[in-house]
Amino acid sequence: MRALAQERALGDWAVKGLGCIGQIAIESLDDGTFLLSHRDDAGRADLTIHSGAEHADRLARFDDAENYRPLKTAPNLRHGWKMSLSDLEELRLALDHFYPGRLAAFFAFENGDLVTTPFRETLERQSGMYRIAAQISEEESDELIGNFCRSDGGCLRAILWRRDRIGTLPSTKLPPEKFDPGHDQAGAGGPVIPLLCQEACNLLVAEARRVVQAGR
Amino acid sequence: MENSLDTALLIVGHGSTVNPFSSMPTLMHATTIRQRHIFADVACCFWKEEPSLRDALFFFRDPAIREVCVVPNFISEGYFTRTVIPRELELSGPETGRANGQVWKYCEPVGNHESMTGYLLERAREVAPGVPEREATLLIVAHGTSLNDNSAIAAKLQAEKIRQRGLYAAVLNLYMEEPPLISDWLNLTETRNVVVVPFFISDGLHSYEDIPVLLGLETAQARAESGAQEIQGRSLFYSTAIGTDSRFADVIIEQAMAQRKQVSQSVS
Repeated sequence: MRALAQERALGDWAVKGLGCIGQIAIESLDDGTFLLSHRDDAGRADLTIHSGAEHADRLARFDDAENYRPLKTAPNLRHGWKMSLSDLEELRLALDHFYPGRLAAFFAFENGDLVTTPFRETLERQSGMYRIAAQISEEESDELIGNFCRSDGGCLRAILWRRDRIGTLPSTKLPPEKFDPGHDQAGAGGPVIPLLCQEACNLLVAEARRVVQAGR
Repeated sequence: MENSLDTALLIVGHGSTVNPFSSMPTLMHATTIRQRHIFADVACCFWKEEPSLRDALFFFRDPAIREVCVVPNFISEGYFTRTVIPRELELSGPETGRANGQVWKYCEPVGNHESMTGYLLERAREVAPGVPEREATLLIVAHGTSLNDNSAIAAKLQAEKIRQRGLYAAVLNLYMEEPPLISDWLNLTETRNVVVVPFFISDGLHSYEDIPVLLGLETAQARAESGAQEIQGRSLFYSTAIGTDSRFADVIIEQAMAQRKQVSQSVS
């Protein structure tokens, strides 16, 4: 089957030396295969070897303590594994399990097609149980986003959206590099395939709802 | 099965921020379908998990992909299929043209498929082997919600279809959030044997935790692999969710193909 444009782009990113994504190191081997592992695990000889992308979902779903990871871009990826992948298609499938939707977002970003949505617009679009989330105040939003989305313990995405249509920064409590798509949010300073955030996730919307409810 | 290599498949699921097993059937069906090489690309997106429905707006950016079939892996027509999915995926109807020329086709949810009745009956027989159907009540239990009156229709239709076959002493459709309520099952049923099949996509929070509580079961009892649970002189047989059936992969493909056919017929 013909490689999809996104898989070809992934090959180009590897050639360019974008050897990491989030907490994962991507090693491109001469025979066209790939090895993935946790960046913290470099040099470890006791890693469990997995062959094939189908193992990625299980590894991505639970942290080191076997707790469910509802946010895959949270900096709590489990350790102790190495994954062997036979080609670009498998690499894409595996990375789509580890960081769902992020390759597509970066591909769109590189092609100038990634549309961002302001936080307020996301909230105003909600219905049902999430409708009240739009009642969150500016101060509460600043605090919530600054805490929930921070790369240190929150989420490793680079935020591209703004808080409102006039371009207010999502939070004054986040450092400027949180909004830089070229910055390695994992803190190691390597050339990375960035985890781009084009719109507030459902978890953040749910937190906004919780904040509004708590203030009532 | 005809190949559709200019067509991608997007399976939309609910997902959960709490239950790790909620999205597993949807992901499992996607893997099955991907391995058949029927579509140019196969992806999932979720309301409460990643990738989100909004993320899916940036999927399938390959020039060879001209069509995207969107199949809701939802049991019933309702709030999600009528309101949330069209809004989040910016779908304007059965067919939505995108700026890049792609056409996104919005398909029927899996729960509307004609094979559901047979699958529900098979599940009921599997969970209560040896129980004479004429002496049992079958409960098709679903969510139901006040947000959209259509959400309970699929379960009601299935109960009616099974009732018409005259197999069970009684067939009832009961709901978590609207009458007739699951929690009233003891008053609503008369037979000693009661078989319960959750008309749900996955063994997530509702079918694993909430409904057993509404039935008066301990969670661990509901998770027992087989056998009856005795409650107030009744024998209750509780099945796993219907959507965990591996044949749902075929249903997803058929819902996608049906929409493609329907749209091409209306154009020609």
